[in-house]
Formats: sequence, structure tokens, C-alpha cells
Amino acid sequence: MEPAEHDDTSGLRSINQTLTTRQYLIAMLDRWEFALEVPREQLRSEHQNTLLGNVWHLFNPILTVAVYYLIFGVVFEVNRGVDNFLVWLTIGIFAFRLTSNTVLGGANSITSNSGLIRAIRFPRALLPVSTVMSRLLTFAIELGVIAFMVVFFTNVGITSRWFLLPAVLAVHTALNLGGAFIAARLNDAFKDVQQIIPFVFRLLMYFSGVMFPIERLINALGSSSMAATVASLNPVMRIIELYRWVFLGTTYDWGGLWVTVVMAAAICWFAFRFFRAAEWRYGRA
Amino acid sequence: MSSRLSIRVDDLHLDYEIFEDRRAALRQRLVERKGTGRRVVPALKGVSFDARDGEAVGIVGSNGSGKSTLLSAIAGLIYPTSGEILVSDEPKLLGVGVTLIPTATGWRNIRLGCLALGMSLEELEERIHDIAAFTELGEALDRPLRTYSSGMRGRLHFAIATSVRPKILLIDEALAVGDFKFRKKSRQRIEEIVGDAGTFLLVSHSLDEVAEQCPRVLWIEEGRLRDDGPAETVIAEYEAYADSVKA
Repeated sequence: MEPAEHDDTSGLRSINQTLTTRQYLIAMLDRWEFALEVPREQLRSEHQNTLLGNVWHLFNPILTVAVYYLIFGVVFEVNRGVDNFLVWLTIGIFAFRLTSNTVLGGANSITSNSGLIRAIRFPRALLPVSTVMSRLLTFAIELGVIAFMVVFFTNVGITSRWFLLPAVLAVHTALNLGGAFIAARLNDAFKDVQQIIPFVFRLLMYFSGVMFPIERLINALGSSSMAATVASLNPVMRIIELYRWVFLGTTYDWGGLWVTVVMAAAICWFAFRFFRAAEWRYGRA
Repeated sequence: MSSRLSIRVDDLHLDYEIFEDRRAALRQRLVERKGTGRRVVPALKGVSFDARDGEAVGIVGSNGSGKSTLLSAIAGLIYPTSGEILVSDEPKLLGVGVTLIPTATGWRNIRLGCLALGMSLEELEERIHDIAAFTELGEALDRPLRTYSSGMRGRLHFAIATSVRPKILLIDEALAVGDFKFRKKSRQRIEEIVGDAGTFLLVSHSLDEVAEQCPRVLWIEEGRLRDDGPAETVIAEYEAYADSVKA
């Protein structure tokens, strides 16, 4: 039976119409409670099978810091020339882990929710976004650890710089969101991506001034070389340095700040478009 | 025909791309340069039909004829290769074997499912107990979904999908897995939706069930619409065809 032409189709819309960015964002906002519920579920279940349960959200970062402190502070004595090395190192590790864990979680956000994707239609960007949310929740605990250390282990104390923390977090989150979007699409196309990501980040860690001051790397590369210029633009390193400025008042190269902000925003926007371009394919076998 | 159109499917084509071996595909692409190593399997080859408010339509056909693909496409979960699908409202699809989040409990799945469908947290808190009661799963709701039988999953998913009172409800075999009592209850809810000027599409291999619930039936065979008409006529024709194939 051919559809009769005289029927009124004015009340109908195409099920596959591509939403404008505005409509898409509105559809996401309509489901913001879902974007919070997924991370809650994830955090709750992450350490479900362990003896200590949710305490691991606190122990895991602290143990990580202990290991790095032992190696870089005690064995290699990188701490020479760095004030408050333990806190300095802790900030670097926690901030870096936020990025690497978010990107890795983003990579799995589509593939590990295929059941939900095949059953229910919703803007798929909610899945990487909810990964970002859940990592931010754990980072909140870690920020508490940092604040505690600053107050009790250093003589820096609480300063008015802390008011700028939300701004630093916003730039950092834009960057992480971008990474999560890109990793989500790539990993959906090639499952190999999630195997590669940890190595990429292990390498990036040495180029982000997490365990030793970035100046040492730049000096080693030859301070006017191309490699040194690229290394000094690394947005992850720049953001880590911002956190250190907030908490410890270390010097910051303010001239390059706008590059970092523009980079984070551009990566986030490009990645969002990149993610959406393959939206129709997610969850297909 | 006085009632409004709710679904228009116009010359719908849908191909599946299949990579038989990803590594071989990569090798072919990079080294041998013999194409992309992908095969295209056409699942739907030009299907057209209309459905209206208050209409219950059954869909029958052999295994692999494209029935489930058609429902997924109407639900917007698979994108068509070409053709158009117009709808008056967001269709809700209920499929068999859907697991949502296997590691989460039944309660969590209800919460996440309803929120993903666009329910507000406030509304959810208000109605979650009604939804849970409808599933009749009781204590089992505290267990992870992976421990559920297919019938239990079917109930949970039915309760979630119909919780928002969809104007267009698509059901793919999901009722077949429920027990007698639950089927009766879910049938009642479907009748409410259709009576409320909703549209209902049912894919099923149980021809009795189709005949009982759907006055109109589509018969799909090898990705094409073979017939569209009153239930008795189309089902009789399909049965005759199925017998002739067997013989």
C-alpha cells in the first residue's frame, strides 16, 4: 500500500533529523539528571567487590602519591630546588590523573553502555559527559586532600588565590571533556584505542612536569629548540602549573595563559563536533 | 480514514555493513589495497507504509526478514541507508534480550532507564514504586540485572518503556517471554495506550497473539513488504507461504 499523497504530514517529523547544536544541547539538558545518575552508579559500583569499598576513592590517590614520592623524592631526590615538594608532587599527580582517567573512562563510555544505547534513544554525548562528572566527583575528594596538605604540611596556608580554583577547574574540565569525546568515538571504531591510551598518558606524564619541574625537561631539550617550544605549550602541564600557583603560589608564565584557554576551548568544541559526527553509528554491532 | 497519521515509512532501505575480520580488513586496506574488506547486507529493500492514531499493527515474516530492523529504524536506534521515517511522537521500542546495565540492580536500571527517557527526578521519585510494582519482581529488584531470566528482564523493560505512556509503542517479541499473568497485564496496558489514540506495532512469531491484538498486519519477507491488510487475510497468506517453503 503506497502512502496516500493527500494525507496531512504536517504533524510529523523525521525520526532521524539531525538536531542543531542548540537542540542537541537542550536535549542533553533535559536529561541532566541522567548525566548525574550514571556517575553515581559508577562510583558506587567501582569498588563494590573490595573489602574497603568506597574508602579506595581516597586510598588509591594517596598510595599513588606515596609511590611517586618514594621514587622521585627519596630515591632520585628530584625535590632539590622545589619548595614543599610533597604537596607540589601531589597536586601534579592528582591533576594529571583527572585528565588521564577521564579520557580513559570516556573511551569506554560508549562501548560499556551498549545495552543502554541499543534500548533507549538519548543524546549519546551524555555518556562521555557523565564520565567527566564521575571523575570530577573523585577529584573533589582529592582536592580536599590537597587543601588539607597545604594547610597542615606547608606554611603557605589558605589564600585568596583559592577563589580562582573554579576558573582553573573550568579550563581543565573543557580540556578533559574534549579528550573524552575524542577517545569515545575512536574507541567505538577501534577497540585497540583503550589499550594504547595508558601508554600515551604514561609518556605524556613525563612531558607535563608532574614529577619534576618542566624547566628541567625544556633545558634538556635545548631551551630554544622546536621540541622545547612544543613541550612548553602542553595544556596539561600549563593547567597543572595553574593548580600549583593556586595552592602554593609558585611562579606562573601568565603570557601563555590565553593560549591554554583557547586551546582547551577549541579542543572541547572540535571534539564535540567530532563525537556527534558519528552519533548514528554508536551501538551498532 | 479520519484519524491522524502517526508513522509514515517511505521507501525505507537499510543496509548492514559487516566486517568479517577486522584485522583482515585492515591488511587488505593497507597492504593489498583490495577494497575495504566489508560486505554490505541489505536488511530492508524499500518498505513503505502508514500507521495512524489508535491503530494496532502486527508485523509477521520469516526469521531474518527484516522485522526487528524495521522496528529499530522506526525507533531511531538504527539509521536508514535511504528513505524516510516520519513520526508524530518519539516511539518507544521494547525488544527482547535488552539488558540495559547488566551490573546494576533492577532498581538502578529503572532509575537510569526512566531518566534516559527524559523523566525528571521528581517525577521518577513519585512513580518509581508504581513502576517497580508493575514488574512484580519484588526482592529480585535488589539483584543485578545479569542474574535475571529473560522473562524477568522483559518485565522490567516493559515497565520502563511504558512508564512514560508513549504515543507510539513498538514491541519486538518481548511479550512472548513473560508468563501468562504478566502477558495479560501487559496486554491491558497496551490496550490503554492504543485506546488513548496511541499507535502500536507488534513483531511476533506467535500468529495467534498478532491476530488477537492487531486488526491490521504487515507481512515482510526478505526485506520487502509482501502484504498489508486485515489480519485474517494476511496471516492466512503468510501461513500458506510458510507451508509452501517448508514443503
